[in-house]
Amino acid sequence: MSLSVPDLNFRVIAPALIVALTALIVLLAELVTPAPRKRWLGVLGLIGLLIAAGATVGLWGAPASAFGGMVVADNFGLFLTLVILLGAALSILLALDFVRAHRVDQGEYYVLVLFAVVGMILMATATDLIVIFLALELLSLPLYILAAFKRADARSLEAGLKYFLLGAFSSAFFLYGIAFIFGGTGTTNLMKIADALAKNPRNDLLLVGAGLLLVGFAFKVALVPFHWWTPDVYDGAPTAVTAFMSVGVKAAAFGAFFRAFLVALPAFAFDWRIVLAALAVLTMTLGNVAALLQSNVKRMLAYSSIAHAGYILIALVAMGASGLSSALFYLLAYTLTNLGAFGAVIALSDGERERLEIRDWGGAARQYPFIAAMFAIFMLSLAGFPPLAGFTGKFLIFSAAVETGWAWLAVIGVLNSLVSAYFYLRPIVQMYMSEPVPGWDRIRVAPLVALALVLALIGVIALGLYPTPAIVMATGGFLR
Amino acid sequence: MESIPFYFLAALAVLAALGVVVMRDPVYSALALAVVLTALAGLYVLLSAPFLAAAQVMIYAGAILILFVFVIMLLSPGREGDAPRGALKWQRPLAVIFGGALVAQLALVLLMTILPTGRGLYTPEYLAQIGSTQAVGAALFTDYLLPFEITSLLLLVAMVGVIVLAKKKS
Amino acid sequence: MINSLWLIPALPLAGATINAIFSRKLPRWLVSVIACGAVGASFVVSLLAFFAMQSTDEHHRVFNVSLFTWIPVADFKVDVAFLLDPLSALMLLVVTGVGFLIHVYSIGYMDAERDDGYGHFFTYLNLFIFSMLMLVLGSNYLLMYVGWELVGLCSYLLISFWFHKPEAASAGKKAFITTRVGDFGFGLGVLLIFTTFGTLDFADIFAHAKLIDQSLITIITLLLFAGAVGKSAQIPLYVWLPDAMEGPTPVSALIHAATMVTAGVYMVARSHALFELSPFSSEVVAWTGALTAIYTATIALVQMDLKRVLAYSTISQLGYMFVAVGIGAYGAGIFHLMTHAFFKALLFLGAGSVMHAMNGIIDMRQLGGLRAKMPRTYITFLAAALAIAGFPFFAGFFSKDEILASAFATGHTAIWVIGLITAGLTAFYIFRAFFLTFHTEPRWTTDDRRPLTEDDSHRSSVNGHRSVHPHESPAVMTIPLAILAVLSVIGGFAGMPKVMGANFLEHYFEPVFKPHDLHLAASTEWMLIGASVAAGLLGIALAYWFYIARPTIPVTLARRFSGIYNLLWHKYWIDEIYSWLFVDKGYRLAMFLWQVLDVKIIDGAANGLGRATAALSRVTRSWQSGYARAYALMMLIATVIVLGWLILR
Repeated sequence: MSLSVPDLNFRVIAPALIVALTALIVLLAELVTPAPRKRWLGVLGLIGLLIAAGATVGLWGAPASAFGGMVVADNFGLFLTLVILLGAALSILLALDFVRAHRVDQGEYYVLVLFAVVGMILMATATDLIVIFLALELLSLPLYILAAFKRADARSLEAGLKYFLLGAFSSAFFLYGIAFIFGGTGTTNLMKIADALAKNPRNDLLLVGAGLLLVGFAFKVALVPFHWWTPDVYDGAPTAVTAFMSVGVKAAAFGAFFRAFLVALPAFAFDWRIVLAALAVLTMTLGNVAALLQSNVKRMLAYSSIAHAGYILIALVAMGASGLSSALFYLLAYTLTNLGAFGAVIALSDGERERLEIRDWGGAARQYPFIAAMFAIFMLSLAGFPPLAGFTGKFLIFSAAVETGWAWLAVIGVLNSLVSAYFYLRPIVQMYMSEPVPGWDRIRVAPLVALALVLALIGVIALGLYPTPAIVMATGGFLR
Repeated sequence: MESIPFYFLAALAVLAALGVVVMRDPVYSALALAVVLTALAGLYVLLSAPFLAAAQVMIYAGAILILFVFVIMLLSPGREGDAPRGALKWQRPLAVIFGGALVAQLALVLLMTILPTGRGLYTPEYLAQIGSTQAVGAALFTDYLLPFEITSLLLLVAMVGVIVLAKKKS
Repeated sequence: MINSLWLIPALPLAGATINAIFSRKLPRWLVSVIACGAVGASFVVSLLAFFAMQSTDEHHRVFNVSLFTWIPVADFKVDVAFLLDPLSALMLLVVTGVGFLIHVYSIGYMDAERDDGYGHFFTYLNLFIFSMLMLVLGSNYLLMYVGWELVGLCSYLLISFWFHKPEAASAGKKAFITTRVGDFGFGLGVLLIFTTFGTLDFADIFAHAKLIDQSLITIITLLLFAGAVGKSAQIPLYVWLPDAMEGPTPVSALIHAATMVTAGVYMVARSHALFELSPFSSEVVAWTGALTAIYTATIALVQMDLKRVLAYSTISQLGYMFVAVGIGAYGAGIFHLMTHAFFKALLFLGAGSVMHAMNGIIDMRQLGGLRAKMPRTYITFLAAALAIAGFPFFAGFFSKDEILASAFATGHTAIWVIGLITAGLTAFYIFRAFFLTFHTEPRWTTDDRRPLTEDDSHRSSVNGHRSVHPHESPAVMTIPLAILAVLSVIGGFAGMPKVMGANFLEHYFEPVFKPHDLHLAASTEWMLIGASVAAGLLGIALAYWFYIARPTIPVTLARRFSGIYNLLWHKYWIDEIYSWLFVDKGYRLAMFLWQVLDVKIIDGAANGLGRATAALSRVTRSWQSGYARAYALMMLIATVIVLGWLILR
């Protein structure tokens, strides 16, 4: 027999490959690194992420596909790759001191983060449902473990287990969806599914398959009513892990979500757009309303991240070039802002004790004027105040929705973002206007955490004041 | 007529899978799982994939399941307790109703649709010609090379994770 | 000069940034110099830009300075671009000029504040000015929205500045939430403009407005006006403004005079090309203004808190401005905005000076007789009171008269009558406040025996001392008062009625608004002037009659020391008599309106909304049971619903 080897264009998966290689190196280096030097493993990981980012930039502008059309390096995927790498790098910066303070200073932490990044990158660049599924698992499995990473803390273990059980549950739906789609078209390749659909537009198997895929994606990006795990897991997981998964998973899963529905299933757009619009309304509204009553910062940010998934979903409903680019821009803005917000939570913690209750933030502005100012800006950006990154993102998404005739969805979005301002302002008010809470003294902020915050801050302000370059980059679109 | 073994094995797999979930004693669950896996192996044989069937029996029904039973014996966790009452009193009836609804929906769609009748690449004749083992190997290392490699990473992550979560605190 | 327009907002922003970062390290005097200097420099630049604009050809006095492309969207782009025309130039001068005086005044007023509070205060103040300048200068609706949002945010921070005071915290919240309701309308209006015109640029929109279906224009303008109603505190969204005086007094002055509340009037005037196309919307604007004007003027009649009187007065005066822009007299509206900025800033700063002298006492039942103790505050307050009362040749006289004459000339006779009555009420309540504060017998003691309420003890601690020893405020506070007093006296000559001379302002506005010729006979115009003067004088005279001429309170030294409550009681009794004699029904109506409509219904609705949200939040929390199996079940149910919809569609 003769084997026809597919196009083994490793260049196309170079970013994922570099990160995977880094993970393996860190895994081996962990064996020979003495306990006090474990943080160098994180630095090693950072270097790997940086090289991967360089490779991503090198691929820019020349869309190519490889492995028999299973992955592509198009501008959409590369943009998300950069967002994921950026999010991962900032989370590692946040984690370097965090893991030590929480006495989980092990090299495996970085190994797992890096493997999750591999999964995320592959998910954002995959054009085949099998690869999307495996990438989804590859990004989820390390996160299940990371959520439970602080074994001494029962809540961390609970978070990990809960995330794992429900994640497995949703993966089953996802896999079943792939099976249905394969049954309907005989292929798992997104482009070929679209072709098959073009020939046979009324295909109930495919419709059910799409519905089940939707459930899987909805779970990963935390859309209401598939979001139940989010507050519990975000709350229980170590904060540095929460920061990482709140941004990376969203970028990767939304990438595949957009690609699967826009490349493979545009013929069904009439059906799924209405479902997604309904989910977007539910997600934004419930996310924001639930966030209103939270007294715990991490839970508040968890509901906030749910609400933001709702805004991004509007961009998917809008479809079209403007919807796509607005979603990419929003994910970038959200990644920077949310990491900044979680970073401030880490910066203000005292060893293992974290300021999780909003009332503990009293007087923080006096103790930490810079961190407090930065946190305030991140909150305002999440609330969509101009001229910050979050505002530009929301403006782009809402105008994309208006442009494509979904003005009512944009109206609900605007209303929601107005409501959200209230709970984003609460910690700011607490920090600036009330007295310091006894038991919370000023302690030194780890310089690396401060560095991560400053980097995020620069991004948030730059994307608000001069977003043009990022918007231009985000308008690349798919390789079909 | 050739579909009778298929339906028999399929029904067996489904019933045994239910048993895995319903049985209170973990050893029974593990044994029911063995039935599921073996039934699936039987299905592979019917689909002219003897290599897959053999691998299924050796790896899953053999190695992995034995491991399961060992772990169960070592931990001897006993019978599973009852679910807490009160907060979840609607859980069981609703789960049955909506689980049934989901099955009904999927069944409805499957019954409504005429499945595509075209034959794929791996026909029994083709497999007979080149051999089932070769076909699997060729597919894994050509068309499915990337998924294959991702799976290897996945297994590595699983190992790392198990060690992280299970090893004694130093 | 016009190319350096960006400096105008950039300077206060720079001041805010420097103080935000370094105020803790800097000495206090430097903090205040930076803050005041930034706004002062901004005023100078505005002035230079103004003259540069005036020196150009009359028909080309509209300058659009584009800095860079802010957000490119598919086939259009939003620029960061500033628009300088006579309208925005005048607003710039008012905002930076009055803002600067308020900044200087704050140096003295906030003297007792802790160091970090002092720094924060000036940071917020600069940020407030910056936001308002962005709102004024933006040459498209998105940039205006930026300023709009930032103004709301800053007002929230400043109103709740004394956060540990529960009223201040809730007042800030109330301001934020109430104006957000309006903001929602404004946001929708901007979205609708975008869908209709495909652009957000003022010039493009106004150029094409005539081609758009009139009903669509009506919807757009009504939505925009909803935003103005929130920001400029009109019925039914005015409730936040009276509470907003819980913030430090300079903040009240800033909110009421130079920034924030004028934003709505400015926005309607800026969008005049749209409002002109929709007679219906314009009528709505005018009538909302007229009803608000008279309604809140009646409320102001019975208030005992000096700042509260001023707050209701602001709402009422804003009503005049909306009457003006509603009947198409845009120039008159902006004219009144300007004169009002002068005298209302002065009134608030004067009230602040009184508070400063009186250990934070602002209840007029505990004031009185301050004339001798605070001569400078007294005389400047009087100038402002005469100006707002429409006393001849004071600033408010000209601007109010122009609005009323325009209302009469355009056939809005009913609105004219309402405006005239309101003018009388205005004169009455402001002089009532004036007499009770500065004339009459003192109702305060100089010893410590006055029982301190919790609120008082807080205020005392803010100001650092306890017993009441009224004294004139320092020069840093009285000089801004003096400047504003001069402006309140002469500020009106810019827009004299035709029968008295030339209306410079109308001519000035010609590049923006088409001249608004009244077509009134000279005799009619004199008659109108006479009527409004008469209304004003009548109000002043009545106030004098009730509070000075009939000294119903026999004042003796002995009684003065017998305790303030006795005097308090008598004062209250006089109020009862005056209401029984004069406006029994009116008084009751006013009390009814204030208590039932304002407190019960509107506050109740706001609270009810809050309760509903909280209940909803609790329900969602109860679903968050923590059981993974319960979550799985809910996901299963959702899946069945999604699939069911897809199958059945």
